[in-house]
Amino acid sequence: MRLNNQIMKKFSILVLILFALQSCSSVKEYEKEKINDPDMKLAARSTERFETNFQVYREAAAGANGGKTGGGCGCN
Amino acid sequence: MKNYIIVLFSFLSFSLFAQEKDSTVVFKKRVLEAVEVDFLMSYYNQDGIHSAVSGGKGMEELTDITPTIVVAIPMNDDDVLTVDAGISAYSSASSGNINPFDSATPSPWQASSGASAQDVLSTISLTYSHSSDDRNTIWNAHFSGSVEYDYSSIGFGGGLTKLFNDKNTEVGISANVYLDTWSPIYPKELQDFVDYGNSTNGGIFNYYTITGNTDYNPSGFSFHENKNRNSYALSLSFSQVLNKKMQLSVFVDFLQQQGLLSTPYQRIYFADVADSFINEFQLADDIEQLPDTRFKIPIGARFNYYLNEKFVLRTYYRFYSDDWGISSHTASIELPYKITDRFTVFPMYRYYTQVESKYFAPYEAHLSTEEFYTSDYDLSTFDAHQYGLGVSYTDIFTGAHVWKFGIKNIDLRYNHYSRSDGLEADIVSFGIKFILDK
Repeated sequence: MRLNNQIMKKFSILVLILFALQSCSSVKEYEKEKINDPDMKLAARSTERFETNFQVYREAAAGANGGKTGGGCGCN
Repeated sequence: MKNYIIVLFSFLSFSLFAQEKDSTVVFKKRVLEAVEVDFLMSYYNQDGIHSAVSGGKGMEELTDITPTIVVAIPMNDDDVLTVDAGISAYSSASSGNINPFDSATPSPWQASSGASAQDVLSTISLTYSHSSDDRNTIWNAHFSGSVEYDYSSIGFGGGLTKLFNDKNTEVGISANVYLDTWSPIYPKELQDFVDYGNSTNGGIFNYYTITGNTDYNPSGFSFHENKNRNSYALSLSFSQVLNKKMQLSVFVDFLQQQGLLSTPYQRIYFADVADSFINEFQLADDIEQLPDTRFKIPIGARFNYYLNEKFVLRTYYRFYSDDWGISSHTASIELPYKITDRFTVFPMYRYYTQVESKYFAPYEAHLSTEEFYTSDYDLSTFDAHQYGLGVSYTDIFTGAHVWKFGIKNIDLRYNHYSRSDGLEADIVSFGIKFILDK
C-alpha cells in the first residue's frame, strides 16, 4: 500500500505537468501534416497486438499501452 | 490512495468541462468513410527449460497460430461498429505434461501427446463508438467473449474521450470488467490420487511403479473451490501535440483482480518433501498457490518525433508495480524509414526487466509450510531483449485492388525474443487492411 501511495503521488504530479503542457502549443489542423503521418500514430501498430499478447503471458506486467489491461485470458 | 484518486478525478472533470469550446466550426465529415477489413495473422514459436507445468524444470516448447479478422462498419456519419474475431490455435509441450503418463517413459523433457497438448482459443469483441458533431467527444461501449478448453471469459466496458485545444489535447477514461471462469484441470497424478480416495490404489498408479520415495502422499493437495477470476480495470489516457513534429501520450491503468489467480495445473516440488518419480517424471507435491487478490498499476508513455522526410522516431516506456511484489520497466524504440512514399521499413528494439514476485522460488526451493508458492518463471526476476524488423506498404488512395476491396495497408514484421532465464521465442506477424469500394 505504501508503494501504491508513492506511485499515486508521482502520478498526480505527472498529471499536473501534463495539463500544464496543453497550454504550450496549439497546432492548427492544416499544420498537422507531419503529426498525421501514419508512423506518428500514438498507438501500437495493428500487427503488434500479437507480440503484446505473448508478452502478457511471458511477463508479469501488462497494460498502460492503450490496449488490453488484463483479464479474458489465463495469463499473468 | 483513495484521496489521490478522488483529487485526480476532480481535477480531470474540472479540466474537461472548463475548456473553451473549439471555436473552429468545420463541416461534418463521416467518422469512417467506408467499411474497413483487416486480416491479421501471426506465427509464434518458443522454447525454454523452466516449464511451470513441471514445477520450474522442463521443456517449454510451444507454437501458436492466430488468424484474426477485424471489420469496422460505419453505421452512419457518427457511429462505427467494430467486430474483432479470431482464434489462437496452439500446441504446447509443457501443457501436454499436465498428463505425461500417456508414454511408457514419462519425462519433463519430452513432449506428451495428451489432450491438453493442443487447444484453440476463440475470441470475439464488439465495439460501438459514437462521435459528437464537432468530433470533440467520443464514447464507446464494448462487449467481448472468449473460450478455450479450460477457460472462458466475458467482458464489457465503456469509455469516453474528449478532445480540446484545437484537437491538440485528448483525455480519455474507460472502465472494463472481465468475468472469467476456469474449468480446472489438474496434474494427472494429483487428480488420480484424490479420485482414488487419497491413495495410490488406482488410476495411473496401477500402470506405473513409483521410484524414489515410494510412499507418495500429496495430502496437502485439494481441488479449487472458487473457479472464477474477475478483473476490474480503470484506464486513463492523455495525449498532447507538442508542436508540428512531436506528440506524446500517457496511459495509466488501475487493475484489480479477484478469484482464482493461480494456474491449477502448475506443479510445485517442495524442498522438505522426499521426491517420488515415475520414470524420470517427478510427481507433484502440490499445485501453485497464489493470493486471491492482486492490484496492478502500470503507467506508460509514448513519444513520437517526426525527424525528417525519411525518419520517424517512435518510443514507449512503461513502469509497472503490483502488490505481489513485482515491479518492471519496459522501454522500446522503433525507427521507421521511408524507402518510398508507400514503403517503410522499421527496425525495432524492446527491453524489459522485472523483479520477481515474493511468492516465486525456483524448482524445489519452496517449503511445504509456506502459504503461497509458485515456480512459474514468468513471475521470476529476468531481463528480456526483443529485436526485429518490419516492412509496411501504405497507400491511402487504395490504388491496388482485390475484387471490390482497395488495399490500404500491408504490414509484415518479425521479432526475436530472448529472456535471461533461457526462454527464446520468434514471432512473425502479418496484416493487410482493405477498404470496401463505395
